[in-house]
Amino acid sequence: MNPPGCERIGLAELIDYAAREPEETQAAAFEEHLFSCADCGARAAEFDALVRAIGPAIRSGKVGGFVTDDILNQLAREGIRVRTFTLSPGAVVPCAVWEDDELIAMRLRADLGGASEFTMSQRVAGTEVLRATGQAQTAATSRGELIYTLSASWVRQLAAVDIEVLLSAHEGGEERPIGSYTLVHGGSFHR
Amino acid sequence: MPDKHATLEAVSDEALARQIAGGPPGSTDAEEGELYRRFAPRVRLYGRRHLQDAAAADDLAQEVLLLTIERLHAGEVRRPEEIASFILGTSRMMAQGERRVSRRREALAARFMDTTIEVAPLSIASLDADRVAACLSALVERDRLVVELTFYADREAPRIAEALGVTPGAVRTIRHRAMARLRDCVLGGARS
Repeated sequence: MNPPGCERIGLAELIDYAAREPEETQAAAFEEHLFSCADCGARAAEFDALVRAIGPAIRSGKVGGFVTDDILNQLAREGIRVRTFTLSPGAVVPCAVWEDDELIAMRLRADLGGASEFTMSQRVAGTEVLRATGQAQTAATSRGELIYTLSASWVRQLAAVDIEVLLSAHEGGEERPIGSYTLVHGGSFHR
Repeated sequence: MPDKHATLEAVSDEALARQIAGGPPGSTDAEEGELYRRFAPRVRLYGRRHLQDAAAADDLAQEVLLLTIERLHAGEVRRPEEIASFILGTSRMMAQGERRVSRRREALAARFMDTTIEVAPLSIASLDADRVAACLSALVERDRLVVELTFYADREAPRIAEALGVTPGAVRTIRHRAMARLRDCVLGGARS
């Protein structure tokens, strides 16, 4: 019998369960309750719908930001067309975005040092259009490279223009520039 | 005349199971749909944890519910009052044996794909990728990354912690905060 208005399984418990946090014995007790309780089942349905919507949103190419190779590898496994630019400080490279590209990945190389945070500023025709701050990633820091993704459809709709990317590191309460990169966007390419 | 789907929502799990068991195949589509709507998300969640693959979890939910409906029609579910336990037991059995049979999947797809059954509350079932993308983009970078690594790249806390240079406990805290914000943002948009 389900207790009225049962709230034994809430969002936090659902997140932990799906993320495989609890031990198997705890998980088994969780499952027994989940399957027998209508209230908790309804919350699980809502959570399930939210989690299932994350993949399509990411695959849509409309979620930009700092990512790791794990994310890029998953996108590749799912057949998402990612155009990658590996950029060293001072690089000026042609930005060839094709009509079927879905995501742009910029591998920004720099001396990341021991910084705890990084800020990426993106300027189009001299105007800042995007500013994002991300925390240091162990793997990225050791490789001297941060990965930032942009929506390819956003880049495609730009006129022929230079896209400037400025990377700065936050260390000891100070922000210092560590890289400047330029994508020379010549418009959308068609096959 | 009352909406049959709305009426079925008020029926207990046991009564629903008995209605399916008592009707010949083909005459209980609405009841079968209601059973699916109630339990598929739970089986999918079970599959997401145990099979560690979203697509396999989808398959598991379809196969478990199809088998359950078949067993109900065949009179092989001896205690309909324990239908929830039957579905959980079937989920465990099928997940352990990885007995995902394409024939069952196709049969279930043929049965349910032409229905308009909502498998979640309307407020969230009507989500579109654009809305979720906007809400993901609105999260702070680290929060979004933890959500993506957990629920898209399917990475566990120790690996995420290693990548981000934090503890697994911090990953858990970030994940809770991020998912709560994502849910609030998505539901806020769905309600507006």
